[in-house]
Amino acid sequence: MASALADTSAVVEDPAASRGGPWGFITYWGLHAWVLAYSVVMLSAFFIQFVMGEFPCPLCMLQRYGMILATIGALFIIMQARRGELTTARYAQGLGMGMIGVLAGASVSVRQIELHILPGDPGYGEPFLRLHLYTWAFITFAIVMIYVGVMLMLMPRGIPHAPPVGSAARKISTAIIWIFIGVVAANVIAIIFLEGFAPVLPDDPASYHLIDQLRGR
Amino acid sequence: MVLLSVVALLVWRGADRGVIITLWVVGVVAMLGLFRFHVTSLLDLSF
Repeated sequence: MASALADTSAVVEDPAASRGGPWGFITYWGLHAWVLAYSVVMLSAFFIQFVMGEFPCPLCMLQRYGMILATIGALFIIMQARRGELTTARYAQGLGMGMIGVLAGASVSVRQIELHILPGDPGYGEPFLRLHLYTWAFITFAIVMIYVGVMLMLMPRGIPHAPPVGSAARKISTAIIWIFIGVVAANVIAIIFLEGFAPVLPDDPASYHLIDQLRGR
Repeated sequence: MVLLSVVALLVWRGADRGVIITLWVVGVVAMLGLFRFHVTSLLDLSF
């Protein structure tokens, strides 16, 4: 029994031994899938906002906050791996940030689902594939929760391993990171237009407050 | 949202881990504060 425990701790204390190989590759690109998927989700939200003309309510924006908070956890791990500074502890920190982010976002989703749960309630906005966007948001948060759980179960095996500097894979990784940072920056601009000079969003937004305020309406 | 974009850029730039995690926690608290602000009614879901 004692020797078995000793063997286990020896593996845990040697994360470098589990770097590389298929698990490190899978977890590294799994994190990129997470970053890219949430970037696409928020770009889709922009499509619905700007092309279909649906204004995001405060709870919708808070769900975007949850997605960004969670994805910063994934970004934290990716950047540590790219610099060769990723340890088991830092990997766990990033996954913890991701888990707290999705829990915060899921709390908002559940609140919004409950607001429209009564029979006959049309819900907020147009449904997509028979479900409203806040229900889809909850599904994405649940998927990330499961993903983080699986990653924690795989530790210490599967510590993400970054491709070498200058490789095509590294450039794809950089592109995905910049797409996410661009989406976050676009959200900053969008929320400034939505709020105007007010500190918070109106409960039921129907226009861009900044434009209204600048026009003196 | 401005804070979150700053945190994302700090992560990209490789800033000190303590600064990143502190600002990220401030972001979580701010988000939960906004959530509390926008929750203005008690949901009576006893059918």
